[in-house]
Amino acid sequence: MHRRCLLALAALPLAAPLSASALDTPDGPVVLTVTGQVREPNRGAAAVFDMAMLAQLPQASFSTHTPWYAQARKFSGPLLRDVLAAAGSRGSLLRVFALNDYRVDIPFDDAQRYDLLLARLLDDKPMAVRDKGPLFIIYPFDQHEELRTALYLSRCAWQLKAIEVQ
Amino acid sequence: MSAAPTRPPLVSQDLAADPGPQRLSPWFGLIGLLLLATLLAAVFVQVRQYTLLNQTVQFQDDYLVLNLQQMETEYLRLREQLRKDADLPGSTALQLRYDIFVSRVSLLGSDRARRLINHSSDDTMVMRAIDAFTRRADRYLGSAPRGPLSVQAAHVMLAELEVLDEAIHQMMLEASHRVAGQVTERQQQVRDHNRIGPALTGFLVAMVVLFASITLRQVRKQEARRHRLAQLADQLRDARIEAEAASDAKSEFLADMSHELRTPLHGLLGMLALVRDTPRDARAGDWLRTADESAQHLRRLLDDILDLSKLDSGSLTLTPVAVNLTALLHEVQALLQPAAAAKGLGLQVQIDPALGALALLDATRVRQVLFNLVANAIKYSESGVVLLDCRRLPPAAGGPAELAFSVSDTGIGMDGDTVARLFRRYSRSDDARAWRQSGTGLGLAISRNLARLMGGEIVVRSTPEAGSVFSLRCPLHPVTEAPASMAPSHPASRPPGLPLARPLHVLVAEDHPVNRLYLAALLARLGHRVRLVENGLEALRAMQPQVGAVALHGPHTDAASDALAASEPDDFDLVLMDVHMPVMDGVAATQAIRRLAGPAGQVCVVALTADVFADTQQRCMAAGVAEVLTKPLSLDTLQSLLVRRFGDAAGAAPTAPRPLPPPLPGASPGLLDRATVDSVLDLMGDDQVPALYAGFFNQADDAARRMRESMRDADTDALQRSAHTVKGAALNLGLPALADAAALLSREAGTLAAAQLALAVQRFEEVTAATRALCTGEGLLL
Repeated sequence: MHRRCLLALAALPLAAPLSASALDTPDGPVVLTVTGQVREPNRGAAAVFDMAMLAQLPQASFSTHTPWYAQARKFSGPLLRDVLAAAGSRGSLLRVFALNDYRVDIPFDDAQRYDLLLARLLDDKPMAVRDKGPLFIIYPFDQHEELRTALYLSRCAWQLKAIEVQ
Repeated sequence: MSAAPTRPPLVSQDLAADPGPQRLSPWFGLIGLLLLATLLAAVFVQVRQYTLLNQTVQFQDDYLVLNLQQMETEYLRLREQLRKDADLPGSTALQLRYDIFVSRVSLLGSDRARRLINHSSDDTMVMRAIDAFTRRADRYLGSAPRGPLSVQAAHVMLAELEVLDEAIHQMMLEASHRVAGQVTERQQQVRDHNRIGPALTGFLVAMVVLFASITLRQVRKQEARRHRLAQLADQLRDARIEAEAASDAKSEFLADMSHELRTPLHGLLGMLALVRDTPRDARAGDWLRTADESAQHLRRLLDDILDLSKLDSGSLTLTPVAVNLTALLHEVQALLQPAAAAKGLGLQVQIDPALGALALLDATRVRQVLFNLVANAIKYSESGVVLLDCRRLPPAAGGPAELAFSVSDTGIGMDGDTVARLFRRYSRSDDARAWRQSGTGLGLAISRNLARLMGGEIVVRSTPEAGSVFSLRCPLHPVTEAPASMAPSHPASRPPGLPLARPLHVLVAEDHPVNRLYLAALLARLGHRVRLVENGLEALRAMQPQVGAVALHGPHTDAASDALAASEPDDFDLVLMDVHMPVMDGVAATQAIRRLAGPAGQVCVVALTADVFADTQQRCMAAGVAEVLTKPLSLDTLQSLLVRRFGDAAGAAPTAPRPLPPPLPGASPGLLDRATVDSVLDLMGDDQVPALYAGFFNQADDAARRMRESMRDADTDALQRSAHTVKGAALNLGLPALADAAALLSREAGTLAAAQLALAVQRFEEVTAATRALCTGEGLLL
């Protein structure tokens, strides 16, 4: 039932040097804006990402069950902590915003403790807004039983558009 | 050793009581199973609760409903946006609202959402309506639009959207209610489980307590067992120490006894060596006498040791028979009366009137113990009275009634130490004199063991200077009714109490001449006619006149044939049958007699035996013997037998002064040997002779007194010495009957039974008196 994590661990060591480099400026439409504690801003005080920038970060993927899909689905994308590192963000709380103005607070630690995915691909396909895209914060529910509660489900913000680091 | 027969078999007892280490209480297993079942139930409940929680997580219906409610919000926001943009369609904001709305709608398509909402036809219709709306809207706002949204199309869309308003709201409410119901149901389940939980926990606690108590009991049992084992080990250690002590004592005893045995043996060998080297020496007779005394002493020692070893090995068996207590006590009194009289002591017998006439006892062994106790009492008393008392003790708590023979004296008494040492097995008295006095020193030890063998005990109460009481106690088994063996079986037997019209005619079959003559004398004294034969075959012939008559024509052999010829063959009232005889033994003879036709086959046969083996008794009874008596047969025993069998008159002793025992058949010598008397008269002269004979008779009286003393002390050596002295003198003075009586004592004192010995001494005294009278009559005595 629970499929194993398909996390590409081999890619992890690459995260450190990349995070150290200055953030590029986006060429395409901005899909994610990181504000608040940002040490590597590339637009004003914020760090903004287009899809290509996110795709350039080390990619990970896993399959997990969620309430929104009948079956376990494969999610792929950069790890949230890599994205935050790329923005030079460090704090205690992440306030995330969705396109529909959904807002939820995620402890900064969650991103460190769990392989929180900033999923941009569902079953290896980009997600449209109507498919809860384009970005989807997803917890590895199948790998960690303790995550299977409404609390963590509420932290899975889909149609993500911005993160405010506090 | 000595304690072996009495010590309880503690090992087997304890092990028998022991349930064994492996056996656990059946409750143990049962409670264990219950405990396991309860634990499993608890685990089940917990698993169930866990599963319920997992279901919540897995299906996330409650969370899903939030998402669905957000769909309604998105619907409302899309409608608002559409209303706002209806006249100016094509804004990115509308596109975003629509996309978000569609993404919410897609949630309705999931299986889980369907479980929440697709329950009624209304729901299905709403779903179809939404589907229709999105299909139409996708033409303008989908991923591949056919064209831009026109104002007209936007108005149509808005109209369609507004229709959905109430339905979507209703659907969401229902989903909420359904989830609320689910949550309530789950909470109810959890509550139920929580209610089961405490019950299970309570039960679990009870089981654990029960289990613990059983375990505790098991542990206690184990502890008790260990305690028992420790006790057992202690007992075993004690037993070992005791056994070692007994073994040591025995070694010591053996050393002592071998010394005791060697002393007379050395005397014997020394004397024999003297005689061998110088047979012609004038003192050879004295040497042989000394050798004889040593040998007698040796024999007594060995007898006692044999008794002890029999007692130790448990091979000594008792043969209880119906015993006349009065006769038994009087027998002991008669045997020891002379000894008591010689010391100026009284010897009295008392019998509890509560006692029946008969009791089941081994007469021989009881007599042995009483003889020992009374002899000791006499030995240690200087004045007063020795009392032999027999009474019935009431049964002590559940036990049988007891018979107590008490011997009380007025002697020097003993202190506690001496009493404690008195019975100690193999422990030799420090007082060498006491050891010497009591002969082998084993008398009391043997007596106590015999008492224990009877199921009784010998107890002593003693006060220094005031005297001692030795009591033999044994269970009293009264003879409630005469056993079959004692019932008169002879048709000619008369009921007790019926006087006899005529003296009895008794056939005595006995191979030993002394016993034969003794029985003849006893029966003659009671006034009965006696016929003597030497073995079973002769007895059978005596019972069978025809066979006897035929035998008469054969070689004329012995006195029995004479007797046969001279008697009425078919008219015996009683046969006294020795068991062990040559040619044909008593058992075979009895069997043969029982096969005889007519009254001869029915004659009352009483077996006589010196051995006490139960086997012998059984063989005799099987052969048809009426009863078995143990030799030596005392006058009392014979009397009581005759009373039992033939009534009071048969056993009654003659009231007239006792006649001398009848002269021994055949070689009965005369009182005076004329020739020798004449030669003495010639030699000494008439004036010297009276003094000579007077001196001799004084010496004879003295010897008789000493014989009594020796008898009392059971010192046959001294008795034999006295008799020997008299014998020689009597022969010299021409008094053959007296010489014979003395010679019999000198020769047989060591082998005669106490009763026979007493009889022989009595006869010696009687012959002395008769001879004295004759000598006075003859003028040999003044």
